[in-house]
Amino acid sequence: MNEKGKELYEEVKSKIARLKQEGTLEKQFGDFWKLGCLAKYRSFDLQHLYEDSAREFINRYKEQLTKMREFCVENLEELTEKCIKVMERTCHFKVYYAKTNKEAQKIFMDELGDNKVIYKSKSNEAKDIGIIDVLKENDIEIKETDLGDVINQLFKYELPAYSLGPGVHFLEEEVSAKFNEVYGLNLAPNAKAVVNYLRETYRKELLNDVKVSLTSANAISAEDGTIILGENEGNISLLTRATDKHIVVIGITKIVPTLMDAVLITKIQERINYVSMAYISLISGPSNSSDIQGKKVEGMYGAKEVVVIFVDDWRIEAAKKDLIYKDFLKCISCKSCNFVCPASRAFGNVYASKYGLGGCMIIRDYIHQGLEAAVRDGLFLCTGCENCYNWCPVSVNIGEILKLIKREATEKGLAPPPLENYKEKILKEKNPFK
Amino acid sequence: MTKLIFVGCLSKEQYQDTINNAVKIIQKLDPEYEEIDDVPCCGSLLFHTSTDDETNIHVQDVHNWFKSNDVSDIITICAGCYNYLTRYYKEIISDFNINVKHILQFIAEDGNIEKLNLKYPGKRLAVNYHDPCHLKNAVNPILNEPRKILESIENIEFKEMENYGKLSLCCGSGGGVYSIFKENSDYNALAIFKQMRRTKLLLTSCPFCYTAFKRIYDDRKNKVRTPIMKFEDFIVKLMEGVDPLA
Repeated sequence: MNEKGKELYEEVKSKIARLKQEGTLEKQFGDFWKLGCLAKYRSFDLQHLYEDSAREFINRYKEQLTKMREFCVENLEELTEKCIKVMERTCHFKVYYAKTNKEAQKIFMDELGDNKVIYKSKSNEAKDIGIIDVLKENDIEIKETDLGDVINQLFKYELPAYSLGPGVHFLEEEVSAKFNEVYGLNLAPNAKAVVNYLRETYRKELLNDVKVSLTSANAISAEDGTIILGENEGNISLLTRATDKHIVVIGITKIVPTLMDAVLITKIQERINYVSMAYISLISGPSNSSDIQGKKVEGMYGAKEVVVIFVDDWRIEAAKKDLIYKDFLKCISCKSCNFVCPASRAFGNVYASKYGLGGCMIIRDYIHQGLEAAVRDGLFLCTGCENCYNWCPVSVNIGEILKLIKREATEKGLAPPPLENYKEKILKEKNPFK
Repeated sequence: MTKLIFVGCLSKEQYQDTINNAVKIIQKLDPEYEEIDDVPCCGSLLFHTSTDDETNIHVQDVHNWFKSNDVSDIITICAGCYNYLTRYYKEIISDFNINVKHILQFIAEDGNIEKLNLKYPGKRLAVNYHDPCHLKNAVNPILNEPRKILESIENIEFKEMENYGKLSLCCGSGGGVYSIFKENSDYNALAIFKQMRRTKLLLTSCPFCYTAFKRIYDDRKNKVRTPIMKFEDFIVKLMEGVDPLA
């Protein structure tokens, strides 16, 4: 009997038990998530918003997108080099290339300087690159601006969240009650009251007080250096304009060859998730004016400075050495694989890592924290059904990658003991069920 | 030359009736096919739990067994065996030249459906079919065959589930998950029952899916009224003129 495998198995089982237990955040999240997945799954075929369904839209571009992402993976270094050149020469961005997460964290802290507050949008890349951890370690106040993240901060919810709608598992009346409790308010128990309150208060702060802001990007065009950011709340618009310094921290896999590729990826993310992207920003430089005698002055009404920190860390190595998660480099982070994944649907924030929900985020944990972390995240809940692959707009086979990680975990004695027994029986008796 | 009925280890241990029914169907269509007692497991679970070396050795052992029994053709009953034999064996064994079919493929071949003389003895029976992952994701996916069979049967009305074909939901039991975390299939198998569309019977061609569905059906608190049946059992009932629901 492998003790470590048994211990991890018990740990996952106890997390699953909390899914069934009234009053736990796992159950609250799980109950919402099941309905959410069902709604998302069904919405793929709905046509009431557009002339075509999301599925038809995605299928129209799937082959083109897949080929484009394959090209990006095979030409990761060249695209990055090209992108950095044009960003410096044409866009007047301050660009860094960090070989490791550690380097990126140091650059980020240097750029932050004496500032003790950072305003940020949702950024999964910042989590992957470890920026959030380093901000916490340095006692920097993190001001979330996405309402979902604001809610999670208020509730001190630290379990994995749904990245497209963090905090969405809290009920309307719970959220307004929390605002009333924390800020001594008397808001009506509905979403509108909360939104109106933030519009009247937090919006002013965002317009006037932001010195340094942090975002990632949906995609970046290598041909002209344009950074694309999609959103629905307007928080990113404020963070990228009403700031002195806008810092973009991003993995190099977000770089695509052309501006049109970048726009397409952003629209795919919108359509596949059936979300409203009220604004899509194309940022090609800091704010500037040449209106006085043609003399260009940077820092007009928008950001005075745009800093881009590109991070390699695991990416080029995965591409060059053909590591088991190489295919994951194609991922455009649309997260839609979660809705079609049986394990994600059934286990919500238990089948997840500190980076977020589902198989993709378990792969990230495997890359950064290793095998044990992945097993603890519920690696062995994956059935290998490949629904993720069937639905992925760029044909990433998450199921296949997880299968390879499972094999590695079994080899290291980290698999649930019953699976090891089956394996032994197949090898010795040629029948697992004897 | 041996034409082998590859029954699969789960059916062998738990569903002997289904094996008997599958053998009945296959031998009616081609009496040269036979079941052999000591057939080794295809090793599908090894692909989730073993090193390349271990898996390759097992696959080689199974292939040697095929060679020593002079196997030229295989019909699998299990969806998983079909997927792994056609997908991975050909990758691992360079000279793997055994013709592998799934039983649904075989039944759907030209002329075979007619030979089985299938007819529902009652007035009309509406059925759903669940596409198992192992058949929809196979190198040569089996999607049209079950539909062709069901649509050809007199008095059977075939209806699609809410999600079907390549986009059908997974029952949540594959990859050994049923044996370690039944909560996965308990949620997903029930979700699949809820995707049925006013039919009286749910059919499946995978013994793993069947096991997950049966557990949900048998648990009365789930209030699932529609029975689940394996495709082979259903076909033999119709061959014998018996109402599958009786």
